[in-house]
Amino acid sequence: MEFENLKDELLSAVDSSLKYARTIDSDADFEVYVYYENRTQVSINQGVVDASDVIVEGNAVRVEKQKSISFASSSGISTDRIRRSINEAIASLKTLSIKDERFKGFCEPKPPGNEGTLAKEILSLDKEELVNYASNMVKEGQKFYKRIHAVGSECGAEWGGFAVGNTLGVQQASRGVTNGFEVYCIAIDGEERRTSFEFDLDREKLIKPAGYGTKAAQKAVSLLGAKKLNKTGIFPTLWTPIPAAAFIYASLAQSAMGNNVVEGRSPLSDKIGKNISSSKLTIIDDGQKPSGINTDAIDAEGYPQQKNTLLEQGRLEQFLFDTYYANIRNRESTGNSVRSGRTLPYEVSPNIRPKNLEVKPGNKNLDDLMNSVSDQAIMIVDMPIGILHSNVSTGEFSAVAQSAFLVENGKKSPIQPVSVSGNFYKGLKSLLNIGSDLEKTMFNVETPTLVFDGFSIVG
Amino acid sequence: MLGKLEKCVELGEKLGAKFVEARFDDLTLRTLTRVNDTWKDIILRSRKGIGVVCYFGGASGYSSTANDDDKELEKVVSKAFKMARVSAEAASIKLDFDKRPPVKGTGSDAFHPKVHPQTKDLSFKTDLVDRLIINARESGQNISNATGMYGELYGHKLFTNSEGSVVEWDFEVIDLGCRVTSKTTDGNLVNGVDAARGTMGLESFEEKGKTPEDIGNSAGKHAKEQLKAKACPAGRFRALVENQLAGVLAHESFGHLSEGDFVVVGMSPLSKKMGERLGTEHASIIDQGTPNISKFGGLWLPYDDQGIRANETTVLDKGVLKHYLHSRGTASYLKQEPTGNCRAVHFGFAPIPRMTNTYFTPGNLNKEEALELLDTGVYAIQTSGGQVQGDGSFLFKAIRGYWVENGEMKDPLREVSLSGNILALLSKVEGGTKDLHLWAGYFGGCGKSGQFPLPCGLGGPELVIGEVTFGGKAG
Repeated sequence: MEFENLKDELLSAVDSSLKYARTIDSDADFEVYVYYENRTQVSINQGVVDASDVIVEGNAVRVEKQKSISFASSSGISTDRIRRSINEAIASLKTLSIKDERFKGFCEPKPPGNEGTLAKEILSLDKEELVNYASNMVKEGQKFYKRIHAVGSECGAEWGGFAVGNTLGVQQASRGVTNGFEVYCIAIDGEERRTSFEFDLDREKLIKPAGYGTKAAQKAVSLLGAKKLNKTGIFPTLWTPIPAAAFIYASLAQSAMGNNVVEGRSPLSDKIGKNISSSKLTIIDDGQKPSGINTDAIDAEGYPQQKNTLLEQGRLEQFLFDTYYANIRNRESTGNSVRSGRTLPYEVSPNIRPKNLEVKPGNKNLDDLMNSVSDQAIMIVDMPIGILHSNVSTGEFSAVAQSAFLVENGKKSPIQPVSVSGNFYKGLKSLLNIGSDLEKTMFNVETPTLVFDGFSIVG
Repeated sequence: MLGKLEKCVELGEKLGAKFVEARFDDLTLRTLTRVNDTWKDIILRSRKGIGVVCYFGGASGYSSTANDDDKELEKVVSKAFKMARVSAEAASIKLDFDKRPPVKGTGSDAFHPKVHPQTKDLSFKTDLVDRLIINARESGQNISNATGMYGELYGHKLFTNSEGSVVEWDFEVIDLGCRVTSKTTDGNLVNGVDAARGTMGLESFEEKGKTPEDIGNSAGKHAKEQLKAKACPAGRFRALVENQLAGVLAHESFGHLSEGDFVVVGMSPLSKKMGERLGTEHASIIDQGTPNISKFGGLWLPYDDQGIRANETTVLDKGVLKHYLHSRGTASYLKQEPTGNCRAVHFGFAPIPRMTNTYFTPGNLNKEEALELLDTGVYAIQTSGGQVQGDGSFLFKAIRGYWVENGEMKDPLREVSLSGNILALLSKVEGGTKDLHLWAGYFGGCGKSGQFPLPCGLGGPELVIGEVTFGGKAG
């Protein structure tokens, strides 16, 4: 399969499959999703190299008849394999008539949005080049300092796309390309061991990993010499962009998803139009930003992706929906349907996720923020372990910040891991400040440093 | 299909690969999820494809496809070889391995459940889930959400390599679970969960404790109890860790450190510690591919994805580190025997060192004696997951618990996090109960290097631990 004719081939597979499905049962509604991706990856871990060049291809079919719905997927996009899914899904409807009265139909046809930037040079990124990138980052990290014990790196390039069609008339496709890298370093001094990492993921241009091995090493070394905090209490906490992204993703991103709202798992269900956070906070989810990794012309069920404002100066503006949950709430989808499985996305039935979250930056740099906290504060600089396992319903979280600093009089000194706990939703209300240091970071969240008050620290 | 795989091996060797492995998976997965009164997921999946590993110059290259036509397979082999070749120069640690006698394995090595999930239609399984919800509602209170889930994964696996090994077996795991969320009078939401899972037949859901009625009741009751539960105080306390949570500690925080790839690169804190004492005499950890699943539960894995026969590997023996968990390459590099631990989540990935069933071995205490030994502290039960880091530090959520005073169970406690470092924790294990339980699920599973969710078994007895840091509220 070539990138240039990828859309046509996927759309043709969708079209012929829908026609076949109609011949099997003309009373049912069908949705056919076809996915194809070329994925090349090289990882170097202390000199051990693993490399793969795989094609991920598969299909998924949903059938609805008199409010009964079934889903079947299979690996492969050949006619036989798509027909297998169609037949499986129909057979399942025949043996089992379970109605979902809330289902009001598949996605209606709409004009698509735009694909994100498709940097063609990523398509021709040579496999040897990926090995060199990964190898050079490791060398940089190792050269930096004798206390750097381990360096690992990973480089990858992907291109592919998907097409989706249904018997209501949707037939759309979208493509994407990305390349990215990740490098981590472990600095060791006696029994002390500190980890840091750097990464980039880009669809607009070729990655330039030079210098990042050194940067990761520098960061890991700066964490050495950590002292015990030896204190337990409430402290202001500074969350630099990576942990801040984890905070936003584990809290608001989850509770703003329409499925959690409708199913009673989100405490924000009745809070539209109300202030749920400090007025400093504005968060949007932009499914149409050209540089966004999750930007596509359509979402996973064929609805045009769009830009959605979640929080405007602390006021909850809207939730994120796919067609199913939007219909339950009698509103339009927000184009947030995804097939979220990373390894075989086509296997996952449509769900809701943010596309590209952005936290609007403030105007203080990190030094200003450090100076802005009176007395003592804790700065968290990596993703606290356990934060993603927090409870969306209650907002209670308890996590361990492995890489942290004590901030005192505007200066920071490394401290040994501390546990940080509290409540996400109370935290949003007691947000003290937002930095200007906007960064593209994990979970496709772009955020600056966030400063919260009121969390418990156990040192 | 064997002929196609053999051709892949032959072609890879012709291109110049030192060793080639080819495997074929034909797996079926089903997920049934009911949320309150709505069937959220009725999902059927077919995962069928071929994966090829080529070894060259101490490096490996992997490629895979869902398309088994001959031309596509030629491309796959050539891509796998190319990736190995371009990687060889950058590989300063060479994971070569010597040839061994071929392994011949047949279907007779597979576990054959009395009632295979393939033999029952969907309505049989949706009925199991319906019964979960009915019973959860009967025994729960102030329920805002009751979710019932059934999952099954089964199918055929075929493997061959340059040695002429031919291994063929069937994989199977089923899972029936319930989660109940209840709302407290002050608006907080609390959870109760229970499940029966592992390599077993559908007949298991008729056994005491594993019926949908028992599972639903248990989830409902636990959520109800949580309505009155208190927050666990923050700080360091003595702990009694229930079997499942003990298993998660064995798997997540210790087992991963013993995986050969992690050890080879010197990243594991267990590197170069073979033979050293890491824990008390009460801390023994085993990884075993084919445990007595009818007695203890768990997963049945007679071979790994390099065609190596399952092993019983004592990783930690009465506190002393005895063995790592290996692929063929890591075993050879560290001069140990392969342990049958090289697994891939599906044909889209190369196999890497993973666990099979990892558990703490039982001790000699009964429950009363364990509580007596605990004296005063936290009895932490079940887990909703957690996170670990490469240095052995961990944070896990216990779903519920009890405050224990002078050996007596007192107030129920809400979800609480346990954190610390596994190596420090192993040196504080004071004893274990006699009962061993293993779990292996369809839902959840282990994640490593992007390969998720890989079904793994885990478990243990209940462990008494001298000191654990509990999260909760400070001040």
